[in-house]
Amino acid sequence: MGREVSESCIDSLLTEMVSTYCNRFYANKPELAARRIEAIGYQVGHQLSERYTLERPRFSDHLEAIKFICKDFWSVLFKKQIDNLKTNHRGTFVLQDNRFRWLTRMSIDLSPKNGASEEASIMADNKGVQSMHLYFPCGIIRGALSNLGIPCAVSADISNLPACSFVVRIKA
Amino acid sequence: MIVCVAVVGHQNNPLYIQSFTDADDALKLHHIVHCSLDVVDERVNNPKKSGPPLNETFLGLLYPTENYKVYGYLTNTKVKFILVTTNLDVRDADVRNFFRRFHAAYVDAVSNPFHVPGKKITSRTFAERVSTIVKSFGLSSAG
Repeated sequence: MGREVSESCIDSLLTEMVSTYCNRFYANKPELAARRIEAIGYQVGHQLSERYTLERPRFSDHLEAIKFICKDFWSVLFKKQIDNLKTNHRGTFVLQDNRFRWLTRMSIDLSPKNGASEEASIMADNKGVQSMHLYFPCGIIRGALSNLGIPCAVSADISNLPACSFVVRIKA
Repeated sequence: MIVCVAVVGHQNNPLYIQSFTDADDALKLHHIVHCSLDVVDERVNNPKKSGPPLNETFLGLLYPTENYKVYGYLTNTKVKFILVTTNLDVRDADVRNFFRRFHAAYVDAVSNPFHVPGKKITSRTFAERVSTIVKSFGLSSAG
């Protein structure tokens, strides 16, 4: 097909993107940085879904589109499928990836920031940094689903690493 | 011979429309494309039992006018491709092949990071690829 890029290049690009938006462009405004990163993900997801639905017949309902995201789309992006899909049958889907590829290389900083030696504050600092990295994949999922005609809101949940859950709420 | 191809977005906004003949009035061709959008919507929303299955991308012959035949194709992302041709003996396989190549060119044009989704496609590369595909339409069937 096209030319190929090594995976470490992608990892570096993503890390640098999050770092630039959080520390340089919107240094004290994490919400704005998060929104910009998610918007980039939205455009990428939009274009990727156009490409990867090329030869496929049209989806008949929302569940088919979500299954496409879980299987084919996820395999192309992360070389594996979503491990677990749950739904409440009322427009909310939870996509669980037991080993999210873009988080596997992230280290956990064990040195306490403010001299506090509590486990909880260390975990909280790390969660903040890691959640910034999840806005991009959330945007990708939202962009892909929007292009398939399903407006939604996507958020991520990392309560037990390296597993990562994406919660998709379809707007009625 | 193909006289016109068009790409129409999911809100029926034109993304790309190109005529390949100087003889006919461009406005008339645009009008034919516009009318065919209604037929596409009708085909998708009211599937006939004898028609193609609901979830196929290729919609087939939309409607024949006295001089032209109009074919439609609907992608997963609700983008419509319309093909207007003057050939009277067009083969189904040729049209499907045409749409497949056209879809691939469209995907490449939309993947351009400078392309704004919903706005017209202004890529010259896309225009050239489309011309190539149009020129080779139906040629492979000869002989």
